[in-house]
Amino acid sequence: MSIPISRDETFIEEYDEAIKTPSQLADWQLFKQSYQIAETMKIPSFKDLVAPKFLPHLEFLPHQIECAEKVIQHMNGRALLADEVGLGKTIEAGLILKEYMLRGLVQKVLILVPASLVNQWALELNQKFLIPAVTSGKRVDWQNTNILISTLDTAKSARHRQAILEQDYDFVIVDEAHKLKNHKTKNFQFVQQLSKKYCLLLTATPVQNKLTDIFNLISLLKPGYLGTYEDFIQQYREQKRKVDEDPYLKQLISKVMVRNRRSDTGVHWTKREIETIWVPFTDQELETYHQVEQFFKHNTAISSITYVREFCSSREACYLSIKKWIQQQENIDLPVVKDLLAAIEQLPHHAKALKLVELIKSSDEKFIVFTEYRATQIYLQWLLQQEKIPAVIYRGGFKKGKKDWMRQLFQNHAQVMIATEAAGEGINLQFCHRLINYDLPWNPMRLEQRIGRIHRFGQENDVKIYNFALKNTVEEHVMNLLYNKIQLFENVIGHLEQILSDLNLPNIEREVEQIFEESKSVGESKIKLDNLTSVIQSYQQDNEAKEHLL
Amino acid sequence: MITNLHDFLHQYFTIHDCDVITESNTEMTIRLTRELDQVLMNRPFYWHYMDKIGRVGEPMSLYLDTSTKKKDNKKEWIHFGSPRLQQIFHHIKQNARFTILYEETSGDIKTPLHPWLVTNIMVHYRGKQKKESIHSIGLQLINGMMKANMMKHLDAFTMDLRMSDYSFTISPIIKPESGFKRIFHYLENSLLDEDMQWVEESKKALREEIQLLDYFFHQQEENKEILEKEKERLTERLEPRIEIEIINAGLFYLTEKSSQAIIKD
Repeated sequence: MSIPISRDETFIEEYDEAIKTPSQLADWQLFKQSYQIAETMKIPSFKDLVAPKFLPHLEFLPHQIECAEKVIQHMNGRALLADEVGLGKTIEAGLILKEYMLRGLVQKVLILVPASLVNQWALELNQKFLIPAVTSGKRVDWQNTNILISTLDTAKSARHRQAILEQDYDFVIVDEAHKLKNHKTKNFQFVQQLSKKYCLLLTATPVQNKLTDIFNLISLLKPGYLGTYEDFIQQYREQKRKVDEDPYLKQLISKVMVRNRRSDTGVHWTKREIETIWVPFTDQELETYHQVEQFFKHNTAISSITYVREFCSSREACYLSIKKWIQQQENIDLPVVKDLLAAIEQLPHHAKALKLVELIKSSDEKFIVFTEYRATQIYLQWLLQQEKIPAVIYRGGFKKGKKDWMRQLFQNHAQVMIATEAAGEGINLQFCHRLINYDLPWNPMRLEQRIGRIHRFGQENDVKIYNFALKNTVEEHVMNLLYNKIQLFENVIGHLEQILSDLNLPNIEREVEQIFEESKSVGESKIKLDNLTSVIQSYQQDNEAKEHLL
Repeated sequence: MITNLHDFLHQYFTIHDCDVITESNTEMTIRLTRELDQVLMNRPFYWHYMDKIGRVGEPMSLYLDTSTKKKDNKKEWIHFGSPRLQQIFHHIKQNARFTILYEETSGDIKTPLHPWLVTNIMVHYRGKQKKESIHSIGLQLINGMMKANMMKHLDAFTMDLRMSDYSFTISPIIKPESGFKRIFHYLENSLLDEDMQWVEESKKALREEIQLLDYFFHQQEENKEILEKEKERLTERLEPRIEIEIINAGLFYLTEKSSQAIIKD
């Protein structure tokens, strides 16, 4: 077989001159050092990456290595990383970046991520990948900083925009890249204008609504690769039916996109076992529950749903919020309110809270307990303390140092961590494998985030999730109709974000609230809730078919 | 192979006459020389200005941390792949391309030194994917003997830029220029014996990609230019080829004893 072989003629030309110039001659140590560098940094095989050798403390999953190899060897370092949620897109991006840096191909790097993820990116790149990345602080020097992590908003702002566009980047990463799906936005145009050699776009939802989403993303990576926007629309929108069947388009997309699904990662996922714990209210509690409901039904101006939900969580949550409501009222039937508050005050410990104590006492395992309300959080902490169960609390609003401290206390000393919703993001608690949803969020995405704190890579045990729900209350309807029906606990959600956005249901929580507010009877709310879940369910199936395209 | 980055850097700065203070086995402070300041600190205007006003100028210091865990010690963290290390590697490569070295001898007996052409080569296999192999080949310039793994053989020897007293060199019979040719020739022959499946795979990938492009652009007269450019870039990227690059090379004058030892090894 013939193969062109080129010789390093330049070297030989220079050799003759250099050898006569003493200043150009290297001493023995330096000569050896140069050879050592070459030996250390060489790429020994077609298939393998060099980066893992330099990161012995990291254990990569097979699909992450494959992804990095594909991007580097087949995609020329320009790719859309579209793994499903939780498969480690950040790890893949870090690995690719490291590989290019080790090969000496990349020095200047810009990483654009959502504000909430800036610190996490910095932490991961520094600690895991030994990449000296810094975040763009108040005084940021775009020119002289090599590896910068910033937000799209900061970068495109009038203050920084020009300075950034003047730089030549070897590598640009955009996380949550679905924000670039519209080519008419400032975000899109800004990223398009960046001078960049290699580029990674990260998103779990490459197609949110339309096929043009992916067209735009790919056009950032390889302009002209899918023709012009107009061509694309003409060719693919008109013959909508044919999109799935167009093997060329599919092949083209597969050459710029890596999309791993959990099911085909081949990695053993520990199981998640779900148990719903039905808790009955005492008669006294149930009576007060109806009292709250009735009271607000009579004050037609506002909905009872918020207060009823709070009542299902703790007396404290409901009590505080009624008090707050009173303060805002001018004409108010005081005796009735006083009765109501008195009734709440007289209640014994909350039925769910007692159940919680019972469950935790029956086990030596660590538990993370999620609640929607701060008042409940404080109440539960107090109650557990009375029961001599060591517990820590955790809130999203804590400073970073305090968060780390709480996490450590939980790992080393406490049995229970009580967290509010805001804690859902950005903390890994793989050492714990019992989770209690003390009350359920009405937004399934938030639920998945909660579970994702413990059920993720690195979790070696099966995960057990307990869902508390009160019988004969609004919680029962939500549990049966919203959660059980679309099997949200069993299915790893992944797709749901996309489904909700496709169905134009960005705020499902509000949807559910509205159903309860507007329905005149329990029966009516049940039917409406049932309708809502049916829509999601049918779309779920529909979508599975559509997904074949990608 | 670099097994200890800290030691490697220590050696690098010492070779370049910098004062190195080692605080621990992962932390060091280096007082740079003017030469290295100019290479590493990226401040040409400062030195230009100093020269202009006739001042000596003050080289900066580097504070490096080579540990794998970043500490909050105000030191610059340096590791494989970091820009600073890339810069240093680049500097070494640029300055260690050529040499003439003499084996150190002692005593007062006249010792002849035999010339060797030592060539360290990186072979780049470029196609759909990329890999590299390294060859260190020595050619005895008197009798044409060729030896592989030359750097390994030489590792234990003490070599110097200056010839020791009482040593004298024997002139090469084979000129270095034709020495290189022999080495290339030998290497190329051995490359042709290797498995060539990757070549076939790359050619196939290139054909497929071009087909895809043609399909996608076939109706678009106005995009002809993009198409041609894309094709060019594809060919650049996928067309299989081998490039032979010389990492560094030089004349090594060795005693007869050492020469024989290498040849027999």
